[in-house]
Amino acid sequence: MITVDHLTRKYGDFTAVDDVSFVAQPGRVTGFLGPNGAGKTTTMRVMVGLTPATAGQVTIGGHLYRDIPNPGRHVGVLLDASAQHAGRTGREVLTIGARTMGLPDSRVEEMLALVSLSPEESKRRLRNYSLGMRQRLGIAHALLGDPTVLILDEPANGLDPAGIRWMRGLLKGYADRGGTVLLSSHLLNEVELIADEMILIGNGRIVAQGDKQSLLATETVSSLVTSLDNAALAAALQAAGHTVAAAGDGLRVAATTVEVGRAALSAGVVLTDLRVESAGLEDLFLSLTADTQRDTQAAAPAPINAGGAA
Amino acid sequence: MSAAVAPSGALDFSGTPRVPFSRLVSVEFRKALDTRAGRWLTGTIIALCLIVIVIFALAAPDESTNFDTFLAVSGTTLGYFLPILLIMMVTSEWSQRTGLVTFALEPHRSRVVASKFCAGLLLGVGLIVVAAALAALGTLIAGGDWEIETGLLINGFVVANLIGIVLGFAIGMLLMNTPAAIVTYFIYTLVLPIAVGILAAFQEWFNDLAPWVEFNTAQASLFEGDAMPTGEEFAQLLVTGTIWLLIPFAVGLWRLLRAEPK
Repeated sequence: MITVDHLTRKYGDFTAVDDVSFVAQPGRVTGFLGPNGAGKTTTMRVMVGLTPATAGQVTIGGHLYRDIPNPGRHVGVLLDASAQHAGRTGREVLTIGARTMGLPDSRVEEMLALVSLSPEESKRRLRNYSLGMRQRLGIAHALLGDPTVLILDEPANGLDPAGIRWMRGLLKGYADRGGTVLLSSHLLNEVELIADEMILIGNGRIVAQGDKQSLLATETVSSLVTSLDNAALAAALQAAGHTVAAAGDGLRVAATTVEVGRAALSAGVVLTDLRVESAGLEDLFLSLTADTQRDTQAAAPAPINAGGAA
Repeated sequence: MSAAVAPSGALDFSGTPRVPFSRLVSVEFRKALDTRAGRWLTGTIIALCLIVIVIFALAAPDESTNFDTFLAVSGTTLGYFLPILLIMMVTSEWSQRTGLVTFALEPHRSRVVASKFCAGLLLGVGLIVVAAALAALGTLIAGGDWEIETGLLINGFVVANLIGIVLGFAIGMLLMNTPAAIVTYFIYTLVLPIAVGILAAFQEWFNDLAPWVEFNTAQASLFEGDAMPTGEEFAQLLVTGTIWLLIPFAVGLWRLLRAEPK
Protein backbone atom coordinates (compact mmCIF):
# COMPACT_ATOMS: atom_id res chain seq x y z
CA MET A 1 0.00 0.00 0.00
CA ILE A 2 1.30 3.45 -0.92
CA THR A 3 0.04 6.35 1.15
CA VAL A 4 0.67 9.88 -0.07
CA ASP A 5 -0.09 12.26 2.76
CA HIS A 6 -0.46 16.00 2.08
CA LEU A 7 2.59 15.99 -0.13
CA THR A 8 3.94 19.32 -1.33
CA ARG A 9 7.10 19.91 -3.30
CA LYS A 10 8.22 23.41 -4.23
CA TYR A 11 11.06 24.58 -6.41
CA GLY A 12 11.53 28.19 -5.43
CA ASP A 13 8.25 29.91 -6.27
CA PHE A 14 7.06 27.02 -8.42
CA THR A 15 4.89 24.41 -6.73
CA ALA A 16 5.34 21.14 -8.60
CA VAL A 17 3.18 19.12 -6.23
CA ASP A 18 0.57 20.90 -4.16
CA ASP A 19 -0.93 19.18 -1.11
CA VAL A 20 -1.48 15.83 -2.80
CA SER A 21 -3.02 12.95 -0.84
CA PHE A 22 -4.10 9.55 -2.09
CA VAL A 23 -3.77 5.87 -1.35
CA ALA A 24 -2.81 3.09 -3.75
CA GLN A 25 -4.38 -0.09 -2.39
CA PRO A 26 -2.92 -3.59 -2.54
CA GLY A 27 -4.65 -5.86 -5.05
CA ARG A 28 -5.48 -2.93 -7.29
CA VAL A 29 -3.90 -1.11 -10.19
CA THR A 30 -3.94 2.60 -9.50
CA GLY A 31 -3.57 4.90 -12.49
CA PHE A 32 -1.94 8.26 -11.97
CA LEU A 33 -3.13 10.45 -14.76
CA GLY A 34 -2.34 13.98 -15.79
CA PRO A 35 -0.98 16.15 -18.61
CA ASN A 36 2.75 16.68 -19.06
CA GLY A 37 4.28 18.57 -16.16
CA ALA A 38 1.32 17.99 -13.84
CA GLY A 39 3.52 16.65 -11.04
CA LYS A 40 3.23 12.88 -11.55
CA THR A 41 6.94 12.23 -11.86
CA THR A 42 7.84 14.53 -8.98
CA THR A 43 5.34 12.70 -6.76
CA MET A 44 6.86 9.36 -7.73
CA ARG A 45 10.38 10.63 -7.17
CA VAL A 46 9.45 11.71 -3.66
CA MET A 47 7.99 8.22 -3.09
CA VAL A 48 11.37 6.60 -3.61
CA GLY A 49 13.39 9.24 -1.84
CA LEU A 50 15.11 10.78 -4.85
CA THR A 51 13.48 14.13 -4.23
CA PRO A 52 12.87 15.43 -0.72
CA ALA A 53 9.34 16.60 0.10
CA THR A 54 8.85 20.23 1.02
CA ALA A 55 5.92 19.18 3.23
CA GLY A 56 3.98 16.00 3.85
CA GLN A 57 5.27 12.51 3.27
CA VAL A 58 4.84 9.25 1.40
CA THR A 59 4.88 5.88 3.12
CA ILE A 60 4.99 2.46 1.55
CA GLY A 61 3.40 -0.21 3.70
CA GLY A 62 3.66 2.25 6.57
CA HIS A 63 7.38 2.93 6.14
CA LEU A 64 9.38 5.75 4.62
CA TYR A 65 11.19 4.44 1.53
CA ARG A 66 14.62 5.10 3.04
CA ASP A 67 13.73 2.95 6.05
CA ILE A 68 13.00 -0.10 3.90
CA PRO A 69 15.95 -2.49 4.03
CA ASN A 70 17.11 -3.62 0.57
CA PRO A 71 14.20 -1.70 -1.02
CA GLY A 72 14.61 -3.40 -4.41
CA ARG A 73 13.23 -6.58 -2.84
CA HIS A 74 10.00 -4.86 -1.82
CA VAL A 75 9.38 -1.94 -4.13
CA GLY A 76 9.90 -2.23 -7.89
CA VAL A 77 10.67 1.15 -9.40
CA LEU A 78 10.77 2.33 -13.00
CA LEU A 79 11.11 6.08 -13.26
CA ASP A 80 12.81 6.51 -16.62
CA ALA A 81 13.72 3.59 -18.84
CA SER A 82 16.30 5.71 -20.65
CA ALA A 83 18.18 6.54 -17.47
CA GLN A 84 20.72 3.77 -17.94
CA HIS A 85 24.34 3.80 -19.02
CA ALA A 86 24.32 3.78 -22.83
CA GLY A 87 27.46 1.64 -22.90
CA ARG A 88 26.11 -1.16 -20.72
CA THR A 89 24.37 -4.23 -22.11
CA GLY A 90 20.80 -4.95 -21.10
CA ARG A 91 21.88 -8.13 -19.36
CA GLU A 92 24.54 -6.24 -17.42
CA VAL A 93 22.00 -3.66 -16.22
CA LEU A 94 19.90 -6.46 -14.75
CA THR A 95 22.96 -8.23 -13.35
CA ILE A 96 23.99 -5.11 -11.44
CA GLY A 97 20.47 -4.85 -10.02
CA ALA A 98 20.38 -8.53 -9.08
CA ARG A 99 23.81 -8.37 -7.44
CA THR A 100 22.85 -5.29 -5.44
CA MET A 101 19.70 -7.00 -4.18
CA GLY A 102 21.59 -10.21 -3.45
CA LEU A 103 19.75 -12.31 -6.04
CA PRO A 104 21.25 -15.17 -8.06
CA ASP A 105 22.19 -14.40 -11.67
CA SER A 106 19.57 -16.94 -12.80
CA ARG A 107 16.98 -14.31 -11.86
CA VAL A 108 18.34 -12.16 -14.70
CA GLU A 109 17.54 -14.91 -17.21
CA GLU A 110 14.03 -15.30 -15.79
CA MET A 111 13.33 -11.59 -16.12
CA LEU A 112 14.74 -11.40 -19.66
CA ALA A 113 12.41 -14.25 -20.62
CA LEU A 114 9.48 -12.59 -18.86
CA VAL A 115 9.80 -9.37 -20.85
CA SER A 116 10.65 -11.23 -24.08
CA LEU A 117 14.12 -9.84 -24.62
CA SER A 118 16.06 -12.43 -26.61
CA PRO A 119 19.58 -13.53 -25.60
CA GLU A 120 21.01 -11.61 -28.55
CA GLU A 121 19.13 -8.45 -27.62
CA SER A 122 20.22 -8.74 -24.01
CA LYS A 123 23.87 -8.61 -25.11
CA ARG A 124 23.38 -5.39 -27.05
CA ARG A 125 24.32 -2.09 -25.49
CA LEU A 126 21.58 0.25 -24.34
CA ARG A 127 22.43 2.91 -26.90
CA ASN A 128 21.27 0.43 -29.55
CA TYR A 129 17.94 -0.25 -27.82
CA SER A 130 14.67 1.15 -29.09
CA LEU A 131 12.51 2.95 -26.55
CA GLY A 132 10.22 -0.09 -26.42
CA MET A 133 13.14 -2.38 -25.60
CA ARG A 134 14.36 0.00 -22.91
CA GLN A 135 10.88 0.03 -21.48
CA ARG A 136 10.81 -3.79 -21.36
CA LEU A 137 14.20 -3.80 -19.71
CA GLY A 138 13.02 -1.21 -17.20
CA ILE A 139 9.98 -3.34 -16.35
CA ALA A 140 12.25 -6.37 -15.98
CA HIS A 141 14.44 -4.33 -13.63
CA ALA A 142 11.46 -3.25 -11.56
CA LEU A 143 10.30 -6.87 -11.22
CA LEU A 144 13.75 -8.32 -10.42
CA GLY A 145 13.36 -8.42 -6.67
CA ASP A 146 9.81 -9.87 -6.78
CA PRO A 147 8.45 -6.76 -5.04
CA THR A 148 5.03 -6.32 -3.40
CA VAL A 149 4.73 -2.74 -4.61
CA LEU A 150 5.33 -1.46 -8.13
CA ILE A 151 5.89 2.20 -8.98
CA LEU A 152 6.05 2.75 -12.74
CA ASP A 153 6.33 6.13 -14.44
CA GLU A 154 4.90 6.03 -17.99
CA PRO A 155 5.61 2.30 -18.42
CA ALA A 156 3.67 2.01 -21.68
CA ASN A 157 5.65 4.80 -23.31
CA GLY A 158 7.27 3.48 -26.47
CA LEU A 159 5.67 0.03 -26.34
CA ASP A 160 3.88 -1.19 -29.45
CA PRO A 161 0.17 -2.15 -29.15
CA ALA A 162 1.04 -5.79 -28.50
CA GLY A 163 3.54 -4.70 -25.86
CA ILE A 164 0.94 -2.51 -24.17
CA ARG A 165 -1.51 -5.41 -24.06
CA TRP A 166 1.19 -7.68 -22.65
CA MET A 167 2.03 -5.15 -19.95
CA ARG A 168 -1.64 -4.72 -19.09
CA GLY A 169 -1.94 -8.47 -18.50
CA LEU A 170 1.25 -8.55 -16.50
CA LEU A 171 0.22 -5.75 -14.17
CA LYS A 172 -3.34 -7.04 -13.74
CA GLY A 173 -1.94 -10.43 -12.78
CA TYR A 174 0.39 -8.73 -10.38
CA ALA A 175 -2.42 -6.87 -8.65
CA ASP A 176 -4.60 -10.00 -8.59
CA ARG A 177 -1.88 -11.74 -6.59
CA GLY A 178 -2.12 -8.98 -3.98
CA GLY A 179 0.49 -6.56 -5.25
CA THR A 180 0.11 -2.79 -5.23
CA VAL A 181 0.60 -1.22 -8.64
CA LEU A 182 0.86 2.51 -9.24
CA LEU A 183 1.44 3.60 -12.80
CA SER A 184 1.41 7.03 -14.32
CA SER A 185 0.45 8.11 -17.79
CA HIS A 186 -0.57 11.16 -19.73
CA LEU A 187 -2.64 8.95 -22.03
CA LEU A 188 -6.13 8.35 -20.72
CA ASN A 189 -6.97 5.34 -22.88
CA GLU A 190 -3.98 3.48 -21.58
CA VAL A 191 -4.93 3.97 -17.95
CA GLU A 192 -8.66 3.50 -18.53
CA LEU A 193 -8.11 -0.09 -19.69
CA ILE A 194 -5.77 -1.12 -16.94
CA ALA A 195 -6.57 0.82 -13.79
CA ASP A 196 -9.07 -0.12 -11.12
CA GLU A 197 -8.67 3.26 -9.55
CA MET A 198 -7.68 6.58 -11.07
CA ILE A 199 -6.02 9.66 -9.66
CA LEU A 200 -6.30 12.71 -11.91
CA ILE A 201 -3.71 15.39 -11.35
CA GLY A 202 -3.30 18.80 -12.96
CA ASN A 203 -1.02 21.67 -12.01
CA GLY A 204 0.28 19.74 -9.03
CA ARG A 205 -3.18 19.27 -7.52
CA ILE A 206 -5.47 16.28 -7.51
CA VAL A 207 -8.57 17.21 -9.50
CA ALA A 208 -10.49 13.93 -9.18
CA GLN A 209 -10.06 10.38 -7.97
CA GLY A 210 -12.04 7.20 -7.88
CA ASP A 211 -12.92 4.29 -10.15
CA LYS A 212 -14.23 4.87 -13.65
CA GLN A 213 -17.94 4.66 -12.73
CA SER A 214 -17.74 7.07 -9.84
CA LEU A 215 -15.70 9.52 -11.90
CA LEU A 216 -18.28 9.50 -14.69
CA ALA A 217 -21.15 9.78 -12.22
CA THR A 218 -20.00 13.22 -11.21
CA GLU A 219 -20.68 14.50 -14.69
CA THR A 220 -23.73 16.62 -15.44
CA VAL A 221 -26.29 14.71 -17.47
CA SER A 222 -27.27 15.85 -20.92
CA SER A 223 -29.13 14.36 -23.88
CA LEU A 224 -28.85 14.81 -27.61
CA VAL A 225 -32.17 14.87 -29.41
CA THR A 226 -33.30 15.31 -33.00
CA SER A 227 -36.94 15.55 -34.02
CA LEU A 228 -39.16 16.48 -36.95
CA ASP A 229 -39.94 19.81 -35.27
CA ASN A 230 -37.01 20.99 -33.24
CA ALA A 231 -38.46 24.43 -32.61
CA ALA A 232 -41.62 23.05 -30.99
CA LEU A 233 -39.63 20.56 -28.96
CA ALA A 234 -37.23 23.26 -27.77
CA ALA A 235 -40.13 25.42 -26.66
CA ALA A 236 -41.70 22.50 -24.77
CA LEU A 237 -38.40 21.65 -23.05
CA GLN A 238 -37.78 25.25 -22.09
CA ALA A 239 -41.28 25.46 -20.71
CA ALA A 240 -40.42 22.44 -18.57
CA GLY A 241 -37.40 24.31 -17.22
CA HIS A 242 -34.57 22.63 -19.10
CA THR A 243 -31.68 24.39 -20.79
CA VAL A 244 -31.67 23.80 -24.52
CA ALA A 245 -29.01 24.58 -27.09
CA ALA A 246 -28.69 23.83 -30.77
CA ALA A 247 -26.29 21.01 -31.57
CA GLY A 248 -25.78 20.02 -35.19
CA ASP A 249 -29.10 18.87 -36.66
CA GLY A 250 -30.68 18.61 -33.25
CA LEU A 251 -30.63 19.92 -29.71
CA ARG A 252 -28.51 19.44 -26.62
CA VAL A 253 -30.68 19.38 -23.51
CA ALA A 254 -29.58 19.46 -19.92
CA ALA A 255 -31.96 16.67 -18.92
CA THR A 256 -32.20 12.90 -18.90
CA THR A 257 -33.48 11.06 -21.97
CA VAL A 258 -36.62 10.13 -20.01
CA GLU A 259 -37.45 13.78 -19.38
CA VAL A 260 -36.84 14.68 -23.02
CA GLY A 261 -39.04 11.77 -24.18
CA ARG A 262 -41.87 12.86 -21.90
CA ALA A 263 -41.67 16.44 -23.14
CA ALA A 264 -41.77 15.23 -26.76
CA LEU A 265 -44.78 13.01 -26.03
CA SER A 266 -46.80 15.77 -24.45
CA ALA A 267 -45.84 18.24 -27.20
CA GLY A 268 -46.68 15.67 -29.87
CA VAL A 269 -43.31 15.92 -31.63
CA VAL A 270 -41.89 12.90 -33.45
CA LEU A 271 -38.35 12.03 -32.29
CA THR A 272 -35.87 10.72 -34.82
CA ASP A 273 -32.94 10.38 -32.48
CA LEU A 274 -32.55 10.46 -28.70
CA ARG A 275 -29.47 9.49 -26.72
CA VAL A 276 -27.38 10.26 -23.65
CA GLU A 277 -24.46 12.49 -24.41
CA SER A 278 -21.61 10.44 -23.08
CA ALA A 279 -18.69 12.75 -22.80
CA GLY A 280 -16.55 9.87 -21.59
CA LEU A 281 -13.49 10.08 -19.47
CA GLU A 282 -11.55 11.98 -22.05
CA ASP A 283 -13.76 15.05 -21.92
CA LEU A 284 -13.86 14.80 -18.16
CA PHE A 285 -10.10 14.56 -18.06
CA LEU A 286 -9.67 17.52 -20.39
CA SER A 287 -12.24 19.64 -18.58
CA LEU A 288 -10.81 18.87 -15.16
CA THR A 289 -7.32 19.69 -16.23
CA ALA A 290 -8.33 22.52 -18.56
CA ASP A 291 -6.46 25.15 -16.60
CA THR A 292 -3.28 23.23 -17.00
CA GLN A 293 -3.48 22.34 -20.67
CA ARG A 294 -0.74 23.74 -22.83
CA ASP A 295 -2.70 23.36 -26.03
CA THR A 296 -5.70 25.60 -26.05
CA GLN A 297 -7.13 26.31 -29.46
CA ALA A 298 -4.76 29.15 -30.12
CA ALA A 299 -4.58 30.93 -33.42
CA ALA A 300 -2.25 29.36 -35.93
CA PRO A 301 1.17 30.98 -35.95
CA ALA A 302 1.54 33.67 -38.56
CA PRO A 303 3.24 32.50 -41.73
CA ILE A 304 6.82 33.58 -42.17
CA ASN A 305 6.99 36.71 -44.19
CA ALA A 306 9.56 35.75 -46.81
CA GLY A 307 9.91 39.21 -48.25
CA GLY A 308 10.05 40.94 -44.87
CA ALA A 309 11.85 44.18 -44.27
CA ALA A 310 14.30 42.49 -41.93
CA MET B 1 6.37 -11.20 -3.12
CA SER B 2 8.61 -11.41 -0.14
CA ALA B 3 7.00 -9.22 2.50
CA ALA B 4 3.91 -10.23 4.42
CA VAL B 5 0.89 -8.03 3.83
CA ALA B 6 -1.17 -7.20 6.88
CA PRO B 7 -4.87 -6.43 6.36
CA SER B 8 -4.20 -2.78 7.14
CA GLY B 9 -1.86 -2.56 4.20
CA ALA B 10 1.17 -2.29 6.45
CA LEU B 11 4.16 -4.26 5.23
CA ASP B 12 6.61 -6.04 7.48
CA PHE B 13 10.12 -5.66 6.15
CA SER B 14 11.89 -6.74 9.32
CA GLY B 15 12.85 -10.10 7.82
CA THR B 16 15.02 -8.47 5.14
CA PRO B 17 18.56 -7.41 6.04
CA ARG B 18 19.84 -4.27 4.40
CA VAL B 19 22.31 -4.51 1.55
CA PRO B 20 25.71 -5.30 3.08
CA PHE B 21 28.42 -2.71 2.42
CA SER B 22 30.75 -5.30 0.88
CA ARG B 23 28.11 -6.07 -1.74
CA LEU B 24 27.75 -2.40 -2.60
CA VAL B 25 31.53 -2.16 -3.04
CA SER B 26 31.67 -5.19 -5.32
CA VAL B 27 28.78 -3.82 -7.44
CA GLU B 28 30.49 -0.43 -7.73
CA PHE B 29 33.71 -2.15 -8.73
CA ARG B 30 31.85 -4.06 -11.40
CA LYS B 31 30.19 -0.88 -12.64
CA ALA B 32 33.59 0.78 -13.10
CA LEU B 33 34.61 -1.89 -15.59
CA ASP B 34 31.42 -3.17 -17.23
CA THR B 35 31.01 -0.37 -19.77
CA ARG B 36 33.01 0.10 -22.90
CA ALA B 37 34.24 3.48 -21.64
CA GLY B 38 35.45 2.11 -18.31
CA ARG B 39 37.07 -0.98 -19.77
CA TRP B 40 38.79 0.91 -22.57
CA LEU B 41 40.07 3.62 -20.30
CA THR B 42 41.52 1.07 -17.88
CA GLY B 43 43.01 -0.93 -20.73
CA THR B 44 44.43 2.20 -22.33
CA ILE B 45 46.05 3.33 -19.09
CA ILE B 46 47.82 -0.03 -18.75
CA ALA B 47 48.78 -0.04 -22.44
CA LEU B 48 50.15 3.51 -22.20
CA CYS B 49 52.24 2.60 -19.15
CA LEU B 50 53.56 -0.41 -21.04
CA ILE B 51 54.41 1.60 -24.17
CA VAL B 52 56.13 4.36 -22.22
CA ILE B 53 58.12 1.78 -20.22
CA VAL B 54 59.23 -0.13 -23.31
CA ILE B 55 60.25 3.04 -25.14
CA PHE B 56 62.12 4.21 -22.08
CA ALA B 57 63.81 0.82 -21.67
CA LEU B 58 65.08 0.88 -25.22
CA ALA B 59 65.90 4.56 -25.55
CA ALA B 60 67.15 5.75 -22.18
CA PRO B 61 70.89 5.95 -21.46
CA ASP B 62 72.23 3.03 -19.40
CA GLU B 63 72.81 5.01 -16.21
CA SER B 64 69.10 5.87 -15.90
CA THR B 65 67.57 2.44 -16.51
CA ASN B 66 67.17 1.67 -12.82
CA PHE B 67 64.01 0.33 -11.19
CA ASP B 68 63.34 3.63 -9.42
CA THR B 69 63.50 5.55 -12.69
CA PHE B 70 61.08 3.10 -14.26
CA LEU B 71 58.79 3.47 -11.26
CA ALA B 72 58.83 7.23 -11.73
CA VAL B 73 58.06 6.84 -15.43
CA SER B 74 55.13 4.42 -15.08
CA GLY B 75 53.88 6.17 -11.93
CA THR B 76 53.75 9.54 -13.69
CA THR B 77 51.95 8.05 -16.69
CA LEU B 78 49.44 6.37 -14.39
CA GLY B 79 49.11 9.57 -12.36
CA TYR B 80 47.84 11.53 -15.34
CA PHE B 81 45.02 9.17 -16.23
CA LEU B 82 44.00 7.38 -13.03
CA PRO B 83 41.98 10.38 -11.76
CA ILE B 84 39.90 10.30 -14.97
CA LEU B 85 38.83 6.75 -14.17
CA LEU B 86 37.67 7.95 -10.75
CA ILE B 87 35.95 10.98 -12.26
CA MET B 88 33.94 8.72 -14.57
CA MET B 89 32.93 6.39 -11.75
CA VAL B 90 31.26 9.33 -10.03
CA THR B 91 30.01 11.43 -12.93
CA SER B 92 28.46 8.58 -14.95
CA GLU B 93 25.73 8.34 -12.29
CA TRP B 94 24.72 11.85 -13.38
CA SER B 95 25.83 12.16 -16.99
CA GLN B 96 24.41 8.71 -17.82
CA ARG B 97 21.61 9.19 -15.27
CA THR B 98 22.15 5.80 -13.65
CA GLY B 99 21.85 7.55 -10.29
CA LEU B 100 18.09 7.20 -10.67
CA VAL B 101 18.48 3.43 -10.27
CA THR B 102 21.50 3.40 -7.98
CA PHE B 103 19.98 5.69 -5.39
CA ALA B 104 16.62 3.93 -5.55
CA LEU B 105 18.25 0.57 -4.79
CA GLU B 106 20.25 2.10 -1.93
CA PRO B 107 18.47 5.20 -0.67
CA HIS B 108 21.21 5.91 1.86
CA ARG B 109 23.33 7.90 -0.49
CA SER B 110 26.28 8.20 1.86
CA ARG B 111 26.63 4.40 1.70
CA VAL B 112 26.69 4.55 -2.09
CA VAL B 113 29.35 7.25 -2.05
CA ALA B 114 31.46 5.37 0.51
CA SER B 115 31.20 2.11 -1.42
CA LYS B 116 32.09 3.88 -4.65
CA PHE B 117 35.12 5.43 -2.99
CA CYS B 118 36.24 2.04 -1.70
CA ALA B 119 35.73 0.48 -5.13
CA GLY B 120 37.71 3.31 -6.74
CA LEU B 121 40.47 2.86 -4.18
CA LEU B 122 40.60 -0.88 -4.91
CA LEU B 123 40.75 -0.27 -8.63
CA GLY B 124 43.36 2.48 -8.23
CA VAL B 125 45.55 0.37 -5.96
CA GLY B 126 45.24 -2.50 -8.44
CA LEU B 127 46.49 -0.21 -11.21
CA ILE B 128 49.32 1.06 -8.99
CA VAL B 129 50.42 -2.57 -8.54
CA VAL B 130 50.18 -3.15 -12.29
CA ALA B 131 52.23 -0.01 -12.95
CA ALA B 132 54.87 -1.26 -10.49
CA ALA B 133 54.94 -4.63 -12.24
CA LEU B 134 55.42 -2.88 -15.59
CA ALA B 135 58.27 -0.85 -14.10
CA ALA B 136 59.86 -4.14 -13.02
CA LEU B 137 59.38 -5.47 -16.54
CA GLY B 138 61.13 -2.40 -17.97
CA THR B 139 64.01 -2.88 -15.57
CA LEU B 140 64.32 -6.48 -16.72
CA ILE B 141 64.33 -5.48 -20.40
CA ALA B 142 66.91 -2.76 -19.86
CA GLY B 143 68.92 -4.87 -17.39
CA GLY B 144 68.93 -2.01 -14.90
CA ASP B 145 69.76 -1.73 -11.25
CA TRP B 146 67.10 -2.88 -8.75
CA GLU B 147 68.16 -0.57 -5.98
CA ILE B 148 65.38 1.84 -5.09
CA GLU B 149 64.98 4.75 -2.78
CA THR B 150 62.16 3.97 -0.39
CA GLY B 151 61.19 7.61 -0.07
CA LEU B 152 60.63 7.94 -3.78
CA LEU B 153 58.68 4.70 -4.00
CA ILE B 154 56.32 5.67 -1.23
CA ASN B 155 56.01 9.42 -1.86
CA GLY B 156 56.39 9.81 -5.57
CA PHE B 157 54.75 6.60 -6.65
CA VAL B 158 52.17 5.49 -4.09
CA VAL B 159 51.22 8.69 -2.26
CA ALA B 160 51.08 10.83 -5.40
CA ASN B 161 48.77 8.34 -7.09
CA LEU B 162 46.59 7.99 -4.00
CA ILE B 163 46.24 11.78 -4.02
CA GLY B 164 45.24 11.46 -7.68
CA ILE B 165 42.50 8.97 -6.74
CA VAL B 166 41.06 11.28 -4.09
CA LEU B 167 41.41 14.24 -6.44
CA GLY B 168 39.51 12.55 -9.27
CA PHE B 169 36.77 11.52 -6.87
CA ALA B 170 36.54 15.06 -5.49
CA ILE B 171 36.32 16.73 -8.91
CA GLY B 172 33.72 14.16 -10.00
CA MET B 173 31.53 14.88 -6.98
CA LEU B 174 31.97 18.62 -7.31
CA LEU B 175 30.94 18.86 -10.97
CA MET B 176 28.80 15.72 -11.50
CA ASN B 177 29.34 16.04 -15.25
CA THR B 178 31.89 13.96 -17.18
CA PRO B 179 33.21 16.41 -19.80
CA ALA B 180 33.31 19.36 -17.39
CA ALA B 181 35.11 17.28 -14.76
CA ILE B 182 37.75 15.97 -17.17
CA VAL B 183 38.47 19.44 -18.59
CA THR B 184 38.70 20.84 -15.07
CA TYR B 185 41.07 18.06 -14.11
CA PHE B 186 43.44 18.84 -16.97
CA ILE B 187 43.36 22.55 -16.21
CA TYR B 188 44.09 21.65 -12.61
CA THR B 189 47.04 19.35 -13.30
CA LEU B 190 48.50 20.69 -16.53
CA VAL B 191 47.60 24.31 -17.09
CA LEU B 192 47.67 25.58 -13.52
CA PRO B 193 51.20 24.35 -12.64
CA ILE B 194 52.58 25.76 -15.90
CA ALA B 195 50.94 29.11 -15.29
CA VAL B 196 52.22 29.15 -11.72
CA GLY B 197 55.69 28.11 -12.95
CA ILE B 198 55.84 30.95 -15.47
CA LEU B 199 54.64 33.48 -12.96
CA ALA B 200 57.12 32.19 -10.38
CA ALA B 201 59.98 32.45 -12.87
CA PHE B 202 59.36 36.15 -13.39
CA GLN B 203 58.26 37.23 -9.95
CA GLU B 204 60.60 36.58 -7.06
CA TRP B 205 57.92 37.06 -4.40
CA PHE B 206 55.59 34.60 -6.10
CA ASN B 207 58.31 32.00 -6.42
CA ASP B 208 58.39 31.74 -2.63
CA LEU B 209 54.62 31.83 -2.36
CA ALA B 210 53.82 29.28 -5.11
CA PRO B 211 54.36 26.07 -3.08
CA TRP B 212 51.98 27.48 -0.47
CA VAL B 213 49.15 28.13 -2.87
CA GLU B 214 49.50 25.59 -5.69
CA PHE B 215 49.06 21.88 -4.94
CA ASN B 216 51.15 20.48 -7.82
CA THR B 217 54.05 22.77 -6.99
CA ALA B 218 53.88 21.66 -3.38
CA GLN B 219 53.79 18.02 -4.47
CA ALA B 220 57.17 18.45 -6.20
CA SER B 221 58.76 17.64 -2.85
CA LEU B 222 57.27 14.13 -3.12
CA PHE B 223 59.42 13.39 -6.13
CA GLU B 224 62.75 14.45 -4.69
CA GLY B 225 64.17 11.03 -4.10
CA ASP B 226 65.11 9.59 -0.78
CA ALA B 227 64.73 12.71 1.29
CA MET B 228 61.44 12.85 3.16
CA PRO B 229 59.67 16.18 2.78
CA THR B 230 60.95 18.71 5.30
CA GLY B 231 58.74 20.26 7.93
CA GLU B 232 58.16 23.28 5.71
CA GLU B 233 57.35 21.12 2.71
CA PHE B 234 54.91 19.12 4.81
CA ALA B 235 53.25 22.32 5.87
CA GLN B 236 53.00 23.39 2.22
CA LEU B 237 51.45 20.06 1.30
CA LEU B 238 49.00 20.41 4.14
CA VAL B 239 48.00 23.98 3.24
CA THR B 240 47.66 23.43 -0.51
CA GLY B 241 46.11 20.00 0.03
CA THR B 242 43.43 21.59 2.17
CA ILE B 243 42.72 24.29 -0.41
CA TRP B 244 42.86 22.11 -3.50
CA LEU B 245 41.83 18.68 -2.27
CA LEU B 246 40.07 18.58 1.09
CA ILE B 247 37.79 21.58 0.55
CA PRO B 248 36.72 20.48 -2.97
CA PHE B 249 36.16 16.98 -1.60
CA ALA B 250 34.00 18.25 1.27
CA VAL B 251 32.00 20.65 -0.92
CA GLY B 252 31.59 17.96 -3.59
CA LEU B 253 30.38 15.44 -1.04
CA TRP B 254 27.91 17.93 0.36
CA ARG B 255 26.66 18.70 -3.13
CA LEU B 256 26.34 15.08 -4.20
CA LEU B 257 24.47 14.03 -1.07
CA ARG B 258 21.88 16.74 -1.67
CA ALA B 259 21.58 16.73 -5.45
CA GLU B 260 18.43 15.42 -7.11
CA PRO B 261 19.23 12.82 -9.75
CA LYS B 262 17.20 13.76 -12.83
